Parts: sequence; C-alpha cells; structure tokens
Amino acid sequence: MDTLSALLHLSPETFWMIVKILVVFAGPLTIAALLTWVERRGSAMIQDRIGPNRAAIFGFRLIGLPQIAADGIKAFLKEDLVPAEANKVLFWLAPLLAFIPAVLGMAVIPFGQSFESGGHTYHMSLLDPGNGMGMLFPMAIGAMAVYGVLVAAWSSNNKWSILGGMRASAQMVSDELSMSLAVIAIFMTAGAYDPHDLIQAQYGLWNVVPHFLGFLVFFTCMFAETNRLPFDFAEGESEIVAGFLTEYGSMKFALIYLSEYIHLVVASALIVTLYFGGWRVPFVANPGPWLSVASFLAKTLFFCWVFVWVRWTVPRFRYDQLMKMGWKVLLPLSLINFLFHAFLMFRRG
Amino acid sequence: MAVIVKQVKLSWLDRTYFWPVFKGMVITFGHFLRNLFTSTPKRYTVQYPDMKRVMPEGYRGLHELKRHADGSIKCVACFMCAEACPARCITIRAEEFSDLNLTQGFEEKRPRVFKIDMLRCIYCGYCEEACPKDAIWLRKDYELSAYDRLSMQYGKWDLMNTYAEEDGKARITTDPKPAVCSQKASL
Repeated sequence: MDTLSALLHLSPETFWMIVKILVVFAGPLTIAALLTWVERRGSAMIQDRIGPNRAAIFGFRLIGLPQIAADGIKAFLKEDLVPAEANKVLFWLAPLLAFIPAVLGMAVIPFGQSFESGGHTYHMSLLDPGNGMGMLFPMAIGAMAVYGVLVAAWSSNNKWSILGGMRASAQMVSDELSMSLAVIAIFMTAGAYDPHDLIQAQYGLWNVVPHFLGFLVFFTCMFAETNRLPFDFAEGESEIVAGFLTEYGSMKFALIYLSEYIHLVVASALIVTLYFGGWRVPFVANPGPWLSVASFLAKTLFFCWVFVWVRWTVPRFRYDQLMKMGWKVLLPLSLINFLFHAFLMFRRG
Repeated sequence: MAVIVKQVKLSWLDRTYFWPVFKGMVITFGHFLRNLFTSTPKRYTVQYPDMKRVMPEGYRGLHELKRHADGSIKCVACFMCAEACPARCITIRAEEFSDLNLTQGFEEKRPRVFKIDMLRCIYCGYCEEACPKDAIWLRKDYELSAYDRLSMQYGKWDLMNTYAEEDGKARITTDPKPAVCSQKASL
C-alpha cells in the first residue's frame, strides 16, 4: 500500500481516501446501471419473455448489455421539456435532491474488513469508525430521499404528481417508524450503532437469527423505502399515470430512476450490514481484505436480486392496504421484536 | 344478475402473507431458472425476423395458381372462384384457347387476366373450395406487404410464381407454346 501510494506521489491516507471515494461513489452507480439490465432481462425470464436483446455494439449483442448504454444515450439526447406552469427551480432541483441522498447512503457502510499495511490501519468505509454518526447516518439520509419525490411532485404542478408525492410522504411516515424500531433493537443488543461495531458484534451469529422478526419488518420497509413494486405508490402507473414522475422526461427522469436503483443497492448494503454480518464469511474468523470485500459484494448483489425477484412476484398493494400494514402489522411486530430483546437483555442482567 | 362471490377461507399460514409470497417466489424462480437454461430458439417467443413460425396445416395464406408440368395454367377461367368470393377480389378475363393438347387438359378456355386484390382478400379459402380444377391454393406465406396499393394487386403471373422458389420451380412469365402431342391424332 505504501509503495503504491509512493508511486502516485500521494500520502497513504490521501491515496486510500481517493480509492474509497471511487469505490463508494462508482460502485453503487455501476451496480445500479447493471441492475437496470438485470431488472429487464430477469423479469423477462421470470415471465417467460426474452427481454431487450436488440441493442448491439458493432453487431455484437452481448446478451443485451449495450441496452444500458443505449438507454443512457437516448436519455441524454432527448428534448428536455419543462411544463409551462411548473416551478422551474424546484423542477430542476428535484432530480438532484433524489440523487444526492441516494449516493450519500453508502458513506458509512464498511465494504470490507479493515487491514494493516506498513504500520497504518486502513478502514474499508468512507468515514472511519468512531465518526459519531454510525448507522444513524444512512437512516437519516434515506429518509431525506423522500424530499426528492415530494419536490418533484410539487414542482410538476400536476394532479397525478401531487397525488404520488402525497402518497410517498404518508408512506414514508408509516414505515419509517417500524423500520427504525427494528434497527434500534439491533443497536440495543449490540450496544453500539457504529457499523464496524455492529459487524464486530455479529461474530459467530448473524443478526438475522435472533432478530428474524426485525429482519422481516426491516426488509418489508425497505421495499417501501426504495419505492419498489409491492409498494410503489409514489409512481403507481396503474392508477396515477406515473405519479411524481409524470412530467419528467429525458435525463431528469433517468437521474431519478438511477437514484432509485442506487437506493436499492444501498438498501441491500444496509440489510447486509445490519442482519447478515456485513463482510463476514461463514466459518472464517478473519477473511482478510479481498475475501471480505468479495463476501460483502456477493451478499449485496444477492439482496439486489431479491428486490428484483420480489418485484416480479408480488402484485401491488392498494394504498390503504399499505397504510393498514404499516400501522397495524409492521409497527406492532417491530415493537414486539424490540420488547422481546429488551426482555432478554433484562433477564441476562 | 347476482353473482355469488366465493369467499376463500385463508389459513393462518396464508394470512401471515410471508408464506404465500415465499411460495410465489419459488414459482417465479422456477420460471427464471427454466428460461435461463433454455436456449433462445426454444423459448416461447418467436423472434420474428430471425425466426419464422411454421404455419400449421390448413393455414390459409397467399394464393398460388397451380400449373401443369409443362408450365401451362390449370385454371380454365370458369369464374367459380370469382363467384364464390365474398370479398369480390378476384377479377378474371377469359380468352379462347384453341391449340388442344394433353397437358393443358383439352381445355379451350384459360384466363387472360387473373387478378386478386390482396388488400380486399379476406383469406377465407372459398375460391380454393369452389375451384373444380384444383387450380388455386391458399398456402402458408403470410408476409404480404408493400409500399403502395398497386403492388398488392397480384396478376396472373405473380400468382403463378408466388411459391416458385419454395417449390423449386422456374419462374414463368408467358404461357408455354403448346407441345405437339402424340395423342392429338387419336382425338
């Protein structure tokens, strides 16, 4: 590591920071771009279709992968329409408000085991452990993402949009609470909220076993959080045209969509960190940097796939059904989970 | 009319919602795996310009006017098909044809003009059924398209050549000269 940074005339800290920024910023972006392809081809296979396979580079179709580039180029070249009665400043701001919180979410999540090299300890998360924010940061930032949706809805000056935006905000309130309670139970049992400490506490037994109920609640809430299909009320194609996205086109639309996929990646990373031992490898005490990164990536990708998989399995909920589920099912469940673990801790003394 | 909606009593396992979702996910993953290990030509989708559907027996597509072995038309211009046609898309002008010989079936009438308006035709196959000489067949070509209306008027020679490549026959554009037949003397 020292020789590598010396080659680039950088101090090891600076060099490592640049590497981390590249990984944390470009990683979710790349996975999100690939996910658009996985979503389309995967759904096609689930539904016995073929999926997009016509885009080609120099005549090579490469199982439809050029479709990603084709979609990007198309989004860039399309006419950028802003409705006449829209609030132009907010209309331009909304995609950024959706995109930035999505990208920020990965900042504290460790994507591998810390390692030592040349007397330095290198941590594999953008913000080192002990930064004081811990897992509260992605939770808070994830909640910020609803502003992108709301601002997009409000600025479009369209009734479909505003309906979608209202739904998104109401939905956010109704599932954020049970999600936070599920996470608090983990903080409580681990006695810490820094992701490094949480992963440390999952040595030997991943949180998914003792916190199975909490995992179910958290996982369900993540679908609502990422605006994905069983709960995609903000968009709701079948009832409110395209919801908050109705007036959006070209690259603005692509940016909002991309941030939704980045959200999905971050949500998977959160699930992995909180419930599936982060970078831990089963039956390996110290996996080392490479193996731990591979393990984290594999787990995250698996959960990304589960998000896609569930989307093409379960039909949409009705809006009132989600409300009912959020307040009458998920909240009591996560309260039970919370109280159960509190009781266990009390009994253990 | 009153409809009795069947109320399904859900078991507690079904009402947890997670178990049915899990069952559904098993089904969708089964489909996913099956398609993942099926090569593209064997999937349900026929990728049209690359792959073409083999039409079933009895399919009624583009017509062919059949010909005798020497290339002369089988049609005797009896107008039965034109009469049977519900879309009135067949136009026939008959001509006299005096050079009797065997292969042309001893007929003395044949179409000078035999035109089908493919834009009007409804591919009902009545012409095929009405034909006493089995001279018009509806076969399996369904790719009928053109850039203008005139191209969809199929004349006698178009119709006689519609399946020439497929059957390995020569394209013909004129009625053959009647061969001098040995049996002519005996008639």
